[in-house]
Amino acid sequence: MTIGRREFIGLMAGAAAGTAVGFPAGRIFDSTLHSGDQFLYPPRGPEQFVLSVCRECSGGCGVRARRIGERVVKLDGNPLHPISGGRLCAKGQAALQVLYHPDRVRVPLRRAGARGSLASFRPSSWDAALNDIAARLQSLRDEQHPESLVLIRGDDRTLGTRIARRFVDAFGSPNDIAFNGGGEAEALALLVTQGVRATPAYDLRAADYVLSLGSEMLETPAAPVYTARAYGDFRQTYPGHRGKFVHVDPRLSITAASADEWIPIRPGSHAAFAFGLATAIVGEGLYDRAFVAERTIGFEDGADGDLRSLIEQYFPLEKAAEQTGVSVNVILRVARELAGAHNGLVLGPHKGPLIGGRLFDHLAAHILNALVGNIDQRGGVLIPEESPLDSWPAVERDSVAASGHRRPRLDGVDASSTIGNDLEQLAQALASGQPYRAEVLFVAGCDPIYASPARQRFASALERVPLVVSFATIPNDTSLYADWILPEPHYLEQWDLHTSPPSVAFPMVSVASPAVPKPLHDTRAMGDVFLTLARRIELQRALPWSDVPTLVRAEIDRLYQVRRGAIMGTDFDQAWVQMMERAGWWSPGYANADELWQRSLEAGGWWDPFYDHGDWSRVFRRKSGRFDFRPDVVRQFAAVSSSLDSSGSLALVLFEPLSVAGGTGAELPFLQAILDPGFDAQWETWGEIHPDTAAVLGIRDGSPIRVASGHEAIVVRARVTERIVQGAIAIPVGLGRLAGGRWAAGVGANPLRLLDRVREPVSLLPDFGSARVLVSEANATDRRAAGRIER
Amino acid sequence: MTRWGMVIDLDRCTACQACVVACQVENNIPLADRVDCEHGRGISWIRLAPFREGEHGTRPSLRLIPILCMHCERPPCVKVCPATATIIGEEGLVGQIYPRCIGCRYCTTACPYTVRRFNWKRPEWPEPMEQGLSPDVSVRPRGVVEKCSFCHHRLQRAKDKARFEDRPLQEGDYVPACVETCPAEAMFFGDLDDPRSTVARLAESPRAIRLLEELGTKPKVIYLSKGESGGDV
Amino acid sequence: METFELGADKRLFAPIETTRPRFWVFAGILLTIGLWGGFAWWTQLRRGLGVTGLNIPVFWGLYITNFVFFIGISHAGTLISAILRLAHAEWRRSITRAAEVITVLVLFFGMACVILDLGRPDRVLYVIRFGNFTSPLLWDVTSVACYLTASTIYLYLPLIPDIAILRDRMPSRRWLYRPLALGWSDSPRQQRILNRAIAVMAVIVIPIAVSVHTVVSWVFAMTVQPMWHSTIFGPYFVVGAIFSGIAAIIIAMAIIRKAYHLEDYLKPIHFNNLGLLLLVMSLLWFYFTFAEFLTTYYGGEPMHMVVFLSKTEGRFAPLFWAMVVFCLVIPFALLANNRTRTKVWGTVVASVAVEIGMWLERYLIVVPSLSSPRLTMTAPSYVPSWVEWSLFAAFVSMFILLYAVFTKFFPIISIWEIREGREHSVAEVTTRVESYLPEVTHE
Repeated sequence: MTIGRREFIGLMAGAAAGTAVGFPAGRIFDSTLHSGDQFLYPPRGPEQFVLSVCRECSGGCGVRARRIGERVVKLDGNPLHPISGGRLCAKGQAALQVLYHPDRVRVPLRRAGARGSLASFRPSSWDAALNDIAARLQSLRDEQHPESLVLIRGDDRTLGTRIARRFVDAFGSPNDIAFNGGGEAEALALLVTQGVRATPAYDLRAADYVLSLGSEMLETPAAPVYTARAYGDFRQTYPGHRGKFVHVDPRLSITAASADEWIPIRPGSHAAFAFGLATAIVGEGLYDRAFVAERTIGFEDGADGDLRSLIEQYFPLEKAAEQTGVSVNVILRVARELAGAHNGLVLGPHKGPLIGGRLFDHLAAHILNALVGNIDQRGGVLIPEESPLDSWPAVERDSVAASGHRRPRLDGVDASSTIGNDLEQLAQALASGQPYRAEVLFVAGCDPIYASPARQRFASALERVPLVVSFATIPNDTSLYADWILPEPHYLEQWDLHTSPPSVAFPMVSVASPAVPKPLHDTRAMGDVFLTLARRIELQRALPWSDVPTLVRAEIDRLYQVRRGAIMGTDFDQAWVQMMERAGWWSPGYANADELWQRSLEAGGWWDPFYDHGDWSRVFRRKSGRFDFRPDVVRQFAAVSSSLDSSGSLALVLFEPLSVAGGTGAELPFLQAILDPGFDAQWETWGEIHPDTAAVLGIRDGSPIRVASGHEAIVVRARVTERIVQGAIAIPVGLGRLAGGRWAAGVGANPLRLLDRVREPVSLLPDFGSARVLVSEANATDRRAAGRIER
Repeated sequence: MTRWGMVIDLDRCTACQACVVACQVENNIPLADRVDCEHGRGISWIRLAPFREGEHGTRPSLRLIPILCMHCERPPCVKVCPATATIIGEEGLVGQIYPRCIGCRYCTTACPYTVRRFNWKRPEWPEPMEQGLSPDVSVRPRGVVEKCSFCHHRLQRAKDKARFEDRPLQEGDYVPACVETCPAEAMFFGDLDDPRSTVARLAESPRAIRLLEELGTKPKVIYLSKGESGGDV
Repeated sequence: METFELGADKRLFAPIETTRPRFWVFAGILLTIGLWGGFAWWTQLRRGLGVTGLNIPVFWGLYITNFVFFIGISHAGTLISAILRLAHAEWRRSITRAAEVITVLVLFFGMACVILDLGRPDRVLYVIRFGNFTSPLLWDVTSVACYLTASTIYLYLPLIPDIAILRDRMPSRRWLYRPLALGWSDSPRQQRILNRAIAVMAVIVIPIAVSVHTVVSWVFAMTVQPMWHSTIFGPYFVVGAIFSGIAAIIIAMAIIRKAYHLEDYLKPIHFNNLGLLLLVMSLLWFYFTFAEFLTTYYGGEPMHMVVFLSKTEGRFAPLFWAMVVFCLVIPFALLANNRTRTKVWGTVVASVAVEIGMWLERYLIVVPSLSSPRLTMTAPSYVPSWVEWSLFAAFVSMFILLYAVFTKFFPIISIWEIREGREHSVAEVTTRVESYLPEVTHE
């Protein structure tokens, strides 16, 4: 074959043509591959670590924010903090993304359309907001009905909340209403038996047998990281001493998965089980005789109506077995294990911050703890000490304020009430305008429209209030019903002071400094807002601080006056301080208030790790000075008959997955993806049904089902599993929000909507555990309706 | 020789998934929305896997095991990568070279632990979420494979710090994000070849087991089984 | 330059010399499907592999299935025509060209399937720049490249004399045929060289072809995944490849026979003989499959049994049993029966069933093992998306289109082989048969 001139030119032409086409084709290929790539610029600047306190839940973990230049790039636990000890849970880790969340409120928003939709709001300014609110408040004071101011707030002790509460007090309104669901029953049990107003602490670390009566202590305790650290020690830190953990509950939760034994019981029968154990322990004489004889009353006082006779009469073993569905043998065995342990600890039901418990259940658990004698002992139930900064000097009320405080609270709660707040009653009062109308309503740190069983009534009630103001970092469901949404800074953007979280036995003060040089958006801390309002309406005498950072410093100066405790430190430091204090010495590591301030900023705060076991006058504050078994209360509960409903409905068992507990978390994609690792549940609400129950109802695993109570219905995905007992359906709480940003809004369903206004007898607490629902396969109409979340 | 390894005490682990989220935040894992997760494409380098128990009687149970890259000493993934985009380093870390990966996903199918992940789409952070990204870890483009690196960037920082302070690397200097955050203190990390290290000591525990040991991958993540002494996971 | 007296063989040039309108319609439809596939690929380039139905843990799906499938079909041509040549099977003469073209074209599409599957196709050359020799994918690249080269040569060599005829017959296309003909003048010396070269290639191409599908199988077998890690995979895949390859030839033959009126060249006897081969391969395929499944079942290892049961009675069961019907039941019924096998339609229906069945078999190798990983992962089932199906359809239609374009430029039946058969083979065969038998002595 010859390559002549023509062929050569042909070849060259072909090569040139190929290159001319290929080169730009390659460029187009490349740009197609890379079109839409996001440009990312790394932060520039020195690396710093700033200490703050996480506010994703009530746990109060000290965090250490890693900051590079002006940006925070990671959160981890503060290694010196006694709660977190350098550790941080999933929510705390994800909190960084709330700081930089795209759907944060960036400026004050004013409602210009119908309530219930974010689209109704228009951007405004702080001046406009403060002018409007201050004018309204001033007129309330001028017209002498300051009681028309209502504050609904989270049950936290951050400075913002405390300043708001003090403002309301000084303003003259009695309507300082805490929104809390989960912890009230537990605290009430403590009040009823010991006369102490506090959430009990549990010394899990030193226990050797833990009986959890439905306490999801490894998912949603009051202080998750603290409890998890204690749990790790409980299991494996002490060679030769591995604690045993038994979980008794209708549902095999993530907590139950870690237990040595899961004992399934019928829904709502925790108290029955506990009293069955009590019967066995008392009947076999296994109770702590010394403790019961010396430190309690009401056990066997001879008078008809003591605990021993009540147990015999109302809680025989057969009845407990029948009510719980657990055999008598198992009850006996557990009773013997509990009583036989050195440090046996019983925990009452706790399903999450939004799911209220029953007094009867917690009373039963507490009675068991007393029977085995571990009140105020190592490995037992401890009574938290007050933090030195927990109380401020009382407000001096002027005459206007005094007259306002003489009016009753809108929710009907007063000094004689057992419960601390009554949302249901409040909603009625707001709607009816009786006994008086509410004019201004502040909402902060909670989401009643999402989380209250009275939500429907609340929504319509809020329409009757002329001015509703919501403080929010990301708008929540209640914000959509407000007139003003005031942007609250993220916790990483503000100064704050935290005292001990609930269920922690020792006093503590944590200092939170802002981790970013300036807030990302036009936000103002709620505390600063109320201080400003106070100045505007001449209440600055009660709230004399110029701003929150000044207050924080002032509080630390006050702390210096308390002559005990130390800067937060390592385990070694803790042991040193405890040893010194036991001997009566005080060596805090700071010589003056400035040094206390400086070291607090460096280490995270102050604490007093010394717990004085057996200080009976502090922990038993009823007239008898002893633990009171309260047979009078027990009798009232026992007299209430419980019927086993078999009408084809299922018991509704509610729980909160840890990643969306408390009504927060759904706004972050990472937390939506870890709802339940057992099912690999993500981005949806599901309902767990036992295979036998599902077979009877004709329900297939994975299909959408309609869950209906008397007045409402939701659609969830069925999960047919043996992780729930028969005759029940377990549905997680935390999704089904109307607001919360692009990742939360409209995802999942809210089973709290299925609850009706049922109260537990005797305590009158809202009953979250008695609902019964009808379950069926969802048809197309149901599913379409579920697509638009109803209000 | 240094051989980095991890020990996870399943008796302490509460399956809280703090490790999952800490890893995602530390390593600039791309966001996955609801649709991505419905398609099974959410990325997490460590996951809590439900473990099927053996024939353990009739009582229902749930066992959750944290599973992450085992950084095997005989990694099946390294053998099969056609472009040498995954390698085993001197100190035993199995690394992924993102700029070299062609995205064929052979390594993902070869891994018996199914710990490798793939970027099915371009990563996107709605403004201003990109400000929270860590500058220590490169953001992966779409089309490449990624997996747990034992927070290799922290090793580099620790080495730099030790060099700056003129001292050798000590236990606790280099700890991956998951180990650092675990609230139950169930995870331990260190040099398996250092007889004084915690992990070396725990690896000799009668409770120590490895997953899929019979495949000969020689994984360097060791689990301590639940309970008093040895037995099933 | 000699001109040939074509006589009856004129029919073979008809497609090249004339193109009827219905060809353009046919080509138009195929091209449209191809362009739609182009759009699908552009979507994938823009948005990433997320447009497929793939997920964690099913990282491989339709693309890899098609890769194995197309590479399998490539064993049609070269292997068959090489083996038949070495076996002196004279009936091959009408078939060889059609078969060899299948091979060369489908290999390109097979390789393209892999490129489709890459997350970063712009980096495909990294396997050469940073190649890792322990990787079966790299062995794949090497082996397929060799096979492509060898098949192209093996297609080209016997094509030369035919190109020379065309060069002489069609002056309008001299620009194409003259360089390709390499100055062929049909001299005895050239014929000797050509025959020698073809014979050498025939021997070389067979081990290369066997190696190709063996290393493709080793992509799966060299991992430790349940129902992948099997020693049987090498020969199993080769058998499956030949099986689907023969079926492809039958289908191609039937189509060109109808379209170009080649009934005289592609007679029922050809279909019958290929049908017999197909029957043998079907039984052989069944033997390997049965051995594979029985061994797995007998061993009963839990992680393997999860995959096994997902195929035989779980979510893949409908596909699995359909595969058995298509690969064994239908072909056996049609091909073991003399009456159906000797008809063209019988073998064609069997072949279509085989192609569907073999595609399902590839799918059932790739997807179930990935869907049930050793360490449980709950994930949605893999459902291929419109992008994957579109690209599959586009590949098939572009393959058919390119095949048809080939028939427009080159004779799809090897003219000189037919002539060689007419002129030389009859005598050759007579001599050969006589040499087997004892000498006949005439008294």
